[in-house]
Order: sequence, then structure tokens, then C-alpha cells
Amino acid sequence: MPGHPKVLVVDDEDLLRTGMQRLLEMEGYAVDVAANGTEGVSLGTKGDYDLAIIDLKMPDKDGMEVLKEIHADKPNTVCFIATAFASFDTAIQATKLGADGYIPKPFSVEELLQQLQLGYKKRLLLLETERLRKDRENRLLEIAFERTRMNTIVNALEDGVLVVNKNGEAVLYNPSALKYLPLNEIFIEEFIIPKLNPQIAALINHYLLAEEYLPQSFSTQLALDETNETFIQITCSPVPHPDGTLAGVVTVLKNITELKKIEQLKSQFVSMVSHELKAPMAAVYGYLKLLSDDSITLTGEQRQKFIERSEFRLDSLLKMVNDLLDISRIEMKTVHREIIDLNLSEIIKTILELFSLEIKNRGLIVCFFFLENLSSIKADAEEINRLFTNLISNAIKYNQTNGRIDINISVTENFLVTTIADSGIGMKNEEKKKLFHEFFRAKNEFTKEISGTGLGLSIVKRIVDSYSGKIEVESEFGKGTKFIVSLPFRTSMKIEYFENEK
Amino acid sequence: MKVQLIMKEKKMTIKILLVDDDLDILEQTKLMLESKGYKVVTANSSDEGWKKYQQEKPDIAVLDLIMEEYDSGFILAYKIKKASAEKKIPIIILTSVTYVTGLKFDAATVEEKEWTKCDAILNKPVVIDELTKIIETLISIKQSNKQVNK
Repeated sequence: MPGHPKVLVVDDEDLLRTGMQRLLEMEGYAVDVAANGTEGVSLGTKGDYDLAIIDLKMPDKDGMEVLKEIHADKPNTVCFIATAFASFDTAIQATKLGADGYIPKPFSVEELLQQLQLGYKKRLLLLETERLRKDRENRLLEIAFERTRMNTIVNALEDGVLVVNKNGEAVLYNPSALKYLPLNEIFIEEFIIPKLNPQIAALINHYLLAEEYLPQSFSTQLALDETNETFIQITCSPVPHPDGTLAGVVTVLKNITELKKIEQLKSQFVSMVSHELKAPMAAVYGYLKLLSDDSITLTGEQRQKFIERSEFRLDSLLKMVNDLLDISRIEMKTVHREIIDLNLSEIIKTILELFSLEIKNRGLIVCFFFLENLSSIKADAEEINRLFTNLISNAIKYNQTNGRIDINISVTENFLVTTIADSGIGMKNEEKKKLFHEFFRAKNEFTKEISGTGLGLSIVKRIVDSYSGKIEVESEFGKGTKFIVSLPFRTSMKIEYFENEK
Repeated sequence: MKVQLIMKEKKMTIKILLVDDDLDILEQTKLMLESKGYKVVTANSSDEGWKKYQQEKPDIAVLDLIMEEYDSGFILAYKIKKASAEKKIPIIILTSVTYVTGLKFDAATVEEKEWTKCDAILNKPVVIDELTKIIETLISIKQSNKQVNK
């Protein structure tokens, strides 16, 4: 016998029991025995027996009862009823109760073995059935799980998804689809095409009405509302059957409002730059025209002035292009930064030295206050230099003759705070708001003789922002302006702290 | 000969209000227009332009578009048109960029002229012959309209 089928023999007759055990063990069965019904039930429900031979008449428990109890727990154990009182009635009753066979006593060895072999085959079939049933259950569970998982994923998508079959009926959609279509509700299997935005409907109909299967995807963009506040991109793709015909169409709706906004800002910036670059060129062009026009008589003084103005305008054009390149480098984050320990007071001293001629010519008084050893910061030297050069240059340019500049470096808990105050022309409130905008320059009687690109403070702001610092401005028109630059030094402090601890 | 002489005399009476926030452009255009025989009053901002308009009562206005704001020229044009409803002062807008906010504009059709409140839009740098030609045309239209109204 392959696999040593496990057999339980329940019989109150010692001789019969041990005889059967010996016989079956010789035939390759693994045999357990029970001397009464109670023991039989206990063994039969605990162990998973392939086969059981149960005596019908036992003093403590009827064989049929034992069979019932074993089956209640182990339905796949093939049970035989053995009895000396063989009668047709008991055979029928045993079968009705679920006995798989009937072994009359006394039995022939051959008859017994044949019955057991058939029983074992049945046992194997029962086990196989059980396995298949479990498999099927598992698979159904898996499918159900798969479906829930897909629904969860589709519902969680920020993009809207709508699937229609080849008849244009809705098959699947997610809440975002309702938002972007926009529809209050979609019913599965309803003919959805007429409810859709005509542009989206046309895109889907493209596939549904085509004579042949179209493998490519189509996209379009549209404004969701009349005020052009929300833009969506619609992409339709075909879903093929395995035979290559059209099964349906998937429509994905993506909110591209932010992208549109960036696009708009970019083109606004480009037209601003174009305007700013064209202005000095137009001015120089105009002067050249005047100088070369024979029909206009100019004095020598005028000619000299026009040449000087042209040079001045070209010079500022050049500065502006350089500033623009700097801005683009900061924006693209391609600036190679070398973060080192810097002494801010040293940097400011150097800048003031570079400007010493201008300061002297304007008759300005500069007061620089700082505490020795309390102005170190970790940053890129070139950027910090640029930042304070722009601010100090402004404080000189927009100052009154014989005015003053006060520079002060102080330390707060988290920031190194530098204030640069001038006694200059100051700003009006509406000018203050636009101060850091590209190309903004206050225009009044005083500023028209001052050269500038309108990009200096924009660069300052970008540098300060890139160090997570902040810049504030206090100003009174006609009185002066004060810039307060706070640069964080927290990271460097922390590092020092840890090093000290070691 | 006689016709030319009359034209020249007429020109002397034409007073142009020129508004531009670029002082160089303002000076150049003024010089060029004066060399063609016009009387020119200038202003350096739209506020000053509005004041000069009220003081000088010009025959025609030539305005820069982008000054304090991107549409300062249009706003000044609107104010002047509204104030001069009777006299119908022709307005020419000068600009270096026709695309500002992704919006293209021109003064080719009646609707556009109505919307922009100006009669012509010219690109910078200014070509003086083009500018004078448009000034002449607009002045003569204005004059013939006056004749008809009479």
C-alpha cells in the first residue's frame, strides 16, 4: 500500500481487534485501535484517519453513533460498519447514516482488503474534492480582493478616470472624474456621451465611430469654467479586445491649472524682459537716427549729449543682461555654491572700501556698527557679497547729498540680522509693495538720473530666500529707507554644539 | 507752391502732446517732430500727461503704452477721449511690445479702435516719416469730419 493509509479499528472484541490490526499492518496500513465506542470517537475526531472500521454492537456506544460523531468532525474519513448480525436493514440504515461500506462478520481477508482499497480510493477523491473546493474559494476571494484593490487605486487617483464600452456606456469612473467632467452623478451602463462636454464627447466618439480600431491616444486641453480658473487636459486611449477590436475607451482627466499658471507667468516674464531690453535699444537707435539725419540741425553740445546718453543706455543694457543671467542661474539652481565660514563684517568693510570714491563724492557719512567675532555665517562668499553690494549700492545711489548710511550687524536667537539704513529719498507705500518685483523702479524726479536695471533687489530677494532668510523694508517717502536682512545661522550653531559635546 | 505753403502754415498750428516715461525717447521724438514743423508739448508720466492735456489742449496725442503700469497709455487715452468727446482728439499709442499679457492688440478694426480708445498703434523705435504720415492722416480726417458736421 503506497503512503501507508491510516486506519482506525473500533471493536470491543479483543481478538478481532488485534487480529485485524496485525493483518492490516502486514498489508502496509498504519493502524490504531480502540476497544470501545467512546475511545473510538475520541481517536477518530482527534486524528485525521483515512479509513475507519467500526463495530456495530458495542456495550458503551452504538457503532452508528460512533460513525455519526466521527463524521461530524471529519467528514472525509471513509467509515465502514462491521457487524455479525448482517442484515439487509442494518446495511441500508448504515448507508443512510453515511457509512461508506458494510463489512459483514466473519469476513474473508480478501473481501476486507478489497473493501478497504475501494474505500481508500474514495478517501483520495474526497480529499481532492476538498482541495479543489478550497482552491476555488481562495480564488474567488482573490478576485474580490483584486477588484476592491483596483477600485481603491482608481478612486484614490487625483486624475479623473472614465471608462466607456464600445456603445458609449459608462463602465467605470472615479470621484475625480465627476469633479472634472463635471457631472453630479454617473450611472454604470448609462449612455454617457450626450452628458459630456462636446469636446470630450467628440474625442471619445472618434474611437466609437471609427470603422477600424485606432491604436493611438488623443489629447486636448480645455477650460473647465468660463472664468478660465481651472484647466484640464483630457487624454483618450482605446482599450482593445484580445482579438484586436475595440472594447472601450479610457478617458483620463488631468488638472493642469498650475502648469497653465506657470506657463502664463513665464510668457509674462518674457514680454517684460523684451520690453526692458528693447527700451534702451530704441533710445540708442533714436539718438543714432538724430545724429545721422542731415535735415535736423544739432548743436555740438547736443551731439555730445546724445553720444553720452547712448553710452549710458548701452551700459545699463549690458548690466541688465548680466543681472538676467544671474537670476536665471539662481533660478535654475546651477550656481555652484561653496559654503564656508564667512565673516560678514569683513565682507561689508571690503564693499565699503570699493565704494569709497562714490561715498566721498556724495559727501556721505557711513556708520558701521558690529561686534567683533559675532558676525560669522556659513554661506557662499560670492552670493553674500552680491547681496550686500546691491543693498549698499542702493543706499548710496538713492541717498541725499551729504546724507548718511547706518549699517548694523546684530545677533538674535536664530538669525544674524544686518540693517542698512539710508537717509535717502525713501519710498511711497505703493512703491514698497512692488519693490522686489523684477524691473520695478520707482520713477520720480529724483530717480530719473540714477541708473539701475530694476533687477538688483530681485536678486537680493532670491539670494536671501535661497538661504531661508528674510528681508524686510521700512521706508518713509523723502526720509529714507531701512533694509533688514536676517540670515539664519542655526545649522552652523548646531554643528558647533555637537562638536563641543564630543 | 501755394498749397505747400498753406500746409506748412497749418502744421505750425498743430500742437502735439507727447507722453513717454523714457526721457531719451521723449527728447528724440520731440526733436524729430519739431524738425517737421509741429509744436510739441511733452510729459514724462501719465499723470503729467493728463495735466498737460488739460493745460495745453493739444490737437493730437502721442502716448507711450507701458509707463507706470502695463496699460498706462490706454488708460490715459481713455481719459483724454472721454474729456474731449466734442473735439474728438486723435490718439496714437506707441509701444515696444504688442504682447504684454499674452494679449495681442492692434488698432486695425473699428472694434479694436473702440476698445483701445486710440486711432493708431505704432511700434517702437519710432520711424519719424511713419509717425508724421499718421498724424497728417488723422488730422485731415478730423478736419473733414468737422466740415461735414458743419
